[in-house]
Amino acid sequence: MVDNLEQDQEIDLEEERVLDAIAAELPGISRDVHQLIPVLQKIQHIHGYLPLGSIGMVAAHFGIPGAKVFGVATFYNQFRFNPPGRHPIKVCLGTACHVKGGEIILENFTRRLGIEEGETTKDREYSLERVACVGCCALAPVVVVGEKIESYVTPSKVEGVITEIEIQNEIAEREKAKDEQQSDSE
Amino acid sequence: MSSNPTPSELLSELTQAAEKQWQALQNPAVPVIYVGHATCGRAAGSQETIDGFRDALAEKGIEAEIITVGCLGHCYAEPLVTIHYPGFPPLMYQKVGAGEARVLVNSFLQGGEDPCFEYLLGALEPNDTFPTLMDYPRYLYEKRVIMDQCGLIDPHSLDHYLAVGGYQALAKALEKGDKWVVEEIKSAHLRGRGGAGFPAGIKWDIARQAEKTPKVVICNGDEGDPGAYMDRTLMESNPHQVLEGLAIAALAVGASRAILYIRAEYPLAVSTIEDAIAAAKEHNLLGERILGTDFSLEVSVFQGSGAFVCGEETALIQSIQGNRGMPQYRPPYPAVEGLDGLPTVINNVKTLSTVPSIVRKGSHWFKAIGTEKTPGTAIFSVVGDVEYPGLVEVPMGVSLEHLIFEVCGGIKDGKPFKAVQIGGPSGGCLPESELSTSIDFDSLRQAGAMMGSGGMVVMNDETCMVEVARYFIDFTQHESCGKCTFCRIGTRHLLEILTGLTKGEGSDDDIAELQTLSEETIIGSLCSLGKTAPNPVLTTLRFFKDEYLAHYREHRCPALMCRDLIAYYIDLDACARGCDACVACCPTEAIFTTSNRKKAIDQEKCVKCGECVYACPPEYDAVFKVSPPEMIPDQGIKPLDEKKEENNE
Amino acid sequence: MSKDVMVTLTVDGLEISVPRGTKLLKACLDNGIYIPSLCYLDGMDHPPASCRLCLVEIEGRPGPLPSCSQTVEDGMVVHTETDEVRLLQKTAFRLLVSTNDGKCRLCMANKHCEMQKIAKFLHMPLRTKKLRHIPKDMPEVIEEHPCIVYEPNKCVLCGRCVYICSQQNYDFALDFAKRGFNTTISFFGSREEGVGDYCRNCRACVDICPVGALNLKDERDAFLQNLQAKISA
Ligand SMILES: Cc1cc2nc3c(=O)[nH]c(=O)nc-3n(C[C@H](O)[C@H](O)[C@H](O)COP(=O)(O)O)c2cc1C
Ligand code: SF4
Ligand code: SF4
Ligand code: FES
Ligand code: FES
Repeated sequence: MVDNLEQDQEIDLEEERVLDAIAAELPGISRDVHQLIPVLQKIQHIHGYLPLGSIGMVAAHFGIPGAKVFGVATFYNQFRFNPPGRHPIKVCLGTACHVKGGEIILENFTRRLGIEEGETTKDREYSLERVACVGCCALAPVVVVGEKIESYVTPSKVEGVITEIEIQNEIAEREKAKDEQQSDSE
Repeated sequence: MSSNPTPSELLSELTQAAEKQWQALQNPAVPVIYVGHATCGRAAGSQETIDGFRDALAEKGIEAEIITVGCLGHCYAEPLVTIHYPGFPPLMYQKVGAGEARVLVNSFLQGGEDPCFEYLLGALEPNDTFPTLMDYPRYLYEKRVIMDQCGLIDPHSLDHYLAVGGYQALAKALEKGDKWVVEEIKSAHLRGRGGAGFPAGIKWDIARQAEKTPKVVICNGDEGDPGAYMDRTLMESNPHQVLEGLAIAALAVGASRAILYIRAEYPLAVSTIEDAIAAAKEHNLLGERILGTDFSLEVSVFQGSGAFVCGEETALIQSIQGNRGMPQYRPPYPAVEGLDGLPTVINNVKTLSTVPSIVRKGSHWFKAIGTEKTPGTAIFSVVGDVEYPGLVEVPMGVSLEHLIFEVCGGIKDGKPFKAVQIGGPSGGCLPESELSTSIDFDSLRQAGAMMGSGGMVVMNDETCMVEVARYFIDFTQHESCGKCTFCRIGTRHLLEILTGLTKGEGSDDDIAELQTLSEETIIGSLCSLGKTAPNPVLTTLRFFKDEYLAHYREHRCPALMCRDLIAYYIDLDACARGCDACVACCPTEAIFTTSNRKKAIDQEKCVKCGECVYACPPEYDAVFKVSPPEMIPDQGIKPLDEKKEENNE
Repeated sequence: MSKDVMVTLTVDGLEISVPRGTKLLKACLDNGIYIPSLCYLDGMDHPPASCRLCLVEIEGRPGPLPSCSQTVEDGMVVHTETDEVRLLQKTAFRLLVSTNDGKCRLCMANKHCEMQKIAKFLHMPLRTKKLRHIPKDMPEVIEEHPCIVYEPNKCVLCGRCVYICSQQNYDFALDFAKRGFNTTISFFGSREEGVGDYCRNCRACVDICPVGALNLKDERDAFLQNLQAKISA
């Protein structure tokens, strides 16, 4: 419980930071409504998501109603309203990947991570998304983990992908601990 | 005034240096290594390949040039590497990872001893020693007009494009004038490659004659079909060809603004095109007063935010205007009243990429390719269960059979062919009996499919047609903009019925509803998304009705694909003692050991992922699939630990 | 009136004359020929043509066409009652009611609802048996706006409210949100300071809604109380 509370507070704080950053960036951008989608893309590109609070700010910037910006942002697949995980996982469900069992792969991630598609794990480590064709159909089924494309994915490879990230994390943690120890002893 | 240099003269100044450089590259002093580095290459690990070459070359102290190129279309063989070693013809190698790169450096690049036949795909030029790529049956049928230079030139080098004849068509068009260009495209009978096949020349003429100015041309690179990627390949592999076509279109209609609408999911295409725009501007091939003439063109990129419907031209315009991408009733057509109410020509990437060669070589040359009604070539991304998936470019009129069996090597692992889905979510599913259909807009439409985006998915007998129909309707109903009644709610009902069928639920009434609702949605919908969405349903119903019936009448999925209707079991006679391969692979720990130390599946826990089928060693091959699930033979299975417990009691 | 300002056309065998530039749907309605429609409003330059109810057949043109989006022409021959037109209208209607909650008696628009009128005209029930009932995956009542209540399962997404608000208010306060089957009407930001100033409480959207999916909160509360009293009495 306490953990969750702390995490939630952390998220609130982060969202505040993001909103402040957006408020600082907006004035430099053209107010031509043709720029609406590019601006939303830019915010998402920098911060990883569109905090709901930013919708009103963007609306005020362009001098258009919040409902309109909300309508545009919710129309397109690209925009997300919650922060992505540190390791965003995108499972391809394009035609070729579907035929080769992409759905089963998605299901395995869902089960393994305990989240549904479109969600982020509580610890913000992973987020899960479905995408339609990343353009390597010849290597189907395909999963994009972070920037890396994993090809010919099987349920056991799902396990492998997560384990690999966990190991990497643990190594990083140990190094950090070591560093801290060193700096402590200095 | 007459002393001013003509566009051709200005261009040839630019081209001279480029050609010299290109010639040097054709007869290299040091080895040149070309690495396919478009998205498909990167997915297959081309970055590691490049690093592998760099490291190995550095270690050995060998001097060589590495050039990244685009995609040749042989996606099954990525990462693709071509090595031009002095004295050898350029040799193309397939599936070159970092390890293979090292081997190639050690045995071939170091002294040119062993050209590593084991990785060789073929030589790019005719010669006496090596098999060439042209010897493959694929080249008998392929004809490259649009993809001519893809994978052979560096997309980031304007010089490469200039050296192979780039921007000559633009110079010619500038000299001959807008009317000539429109007439030439009209007489070439170039039909739009974005799906509908509308003659580009006529569209241009309408916009050219429209009174309002300024005018706009848009290159449609939205490519939303989940299984087609030729537009992306063209933008990544030969961006200047797209830009040149776009500039010629702008000149023809008198536009002063050009926009490339590219999906944000294609970051590499976006950056490649942006770089190309900058390079072309710098050399006066775009921007102000192009090649010394009065013609100026402002070119920009707009990134599409991922909505399939935004490929539709009126929705695309809405989204550039900062609106929800909802299609508008036509007329007015964009060519008359488009972006911000201005006359707007929208053409597909492939259409525009064809334009330079038509202008350069003339409409007669173009009309000699393909069929009378649809001259030219078609690009398909052929994926699924074929031996050689990838991009192919064939003249219009080639039959499906030749495309699938000759060009793409037939069905993988010698399995039987079942169906081919052509044209993505708006296309149709054709069975074996339709394989003689010729590939062109009209024949395909007659057969119930569509040219559409050019996505082609080949399926073997392990693919369930009901499930395929469900998949496509799931996609279209998810991508429906939600504006009009038939598409918004109609496709949802279709999905509901199809989902039921894949679970074995349904009735004769449902099938009848599927048919009529599909037909009515086609007539009733506002835009072509709704008007084509039911095509996969109608074609599968027409050609694979039995499969539908089996699902709800017998609760059986004949292709053994629908997971609610199948079950896996382990044949105890075939199962080896003690091997734990399946147990280890099962993600839900559903496999247990039986009282006689063999394995069995707990059907309650099994999620039917099929992993154990692959895990079971081929010499035993003990895991089987059945449908309906009740068909599992009774093998008198008792779990091992259960027995122990019994003993303990 | 002179010939250039009037256009004469034939609808279902009846000759009618209307001002040039009139939309066919309006021409028919003005001349007592009823065509079901939901999304068209007088004065629209580019009607959305989204409800797909106003279909007619025009001789010499392919397929049924939405009459709201056709401009009248001299000599046009129009049929509003062909089998194909009726079939499509009925399906469109059936599709619309398949997502509807069907609780007419508990609705403020009962007796003056456009859907009831169309049902009568097409001889269709207000609940479809042929299609499954698929309610929208949304709460029954959405109280996003400080004083307007929105009921998604009544809404037919005709877009009248969005249009009228954009006409009355230079900056409109409500718009479509989401996409596809989940499309909804949203007042996003109407409670936020600065952003929410756009709504002028003119109740234009409430009045224009053909089905009673938008209501003033006070009025709706009073109506429900009244209803409750009646039921218990
Ligand atoms: C739902 C839908 C999606 C479409 N997607 C694309 C697309 O991704 N790329 C494209 O070029 N055309 C697409 N089109 C076709 C365009 O509306 C338009 O016809 C085309 O861009 C015109 O170019 P063309 O004449 O060169 O074919 C789509 C049409 C519809 C109805
Ligand atoms: S057919 Fe579908 S995508 Fe096209 S306007 Fe209608 S709802 Fe939108
Ligand atoms: S709320 Fe009423 S007016 Fe607005 S879209 Fe829905 S049905 Fe139409
Ligand atoms: S379908 Fe998955 S990469 Fe194309
Ligand atoms: S009134 Fe014409 S489509 Fe709705």
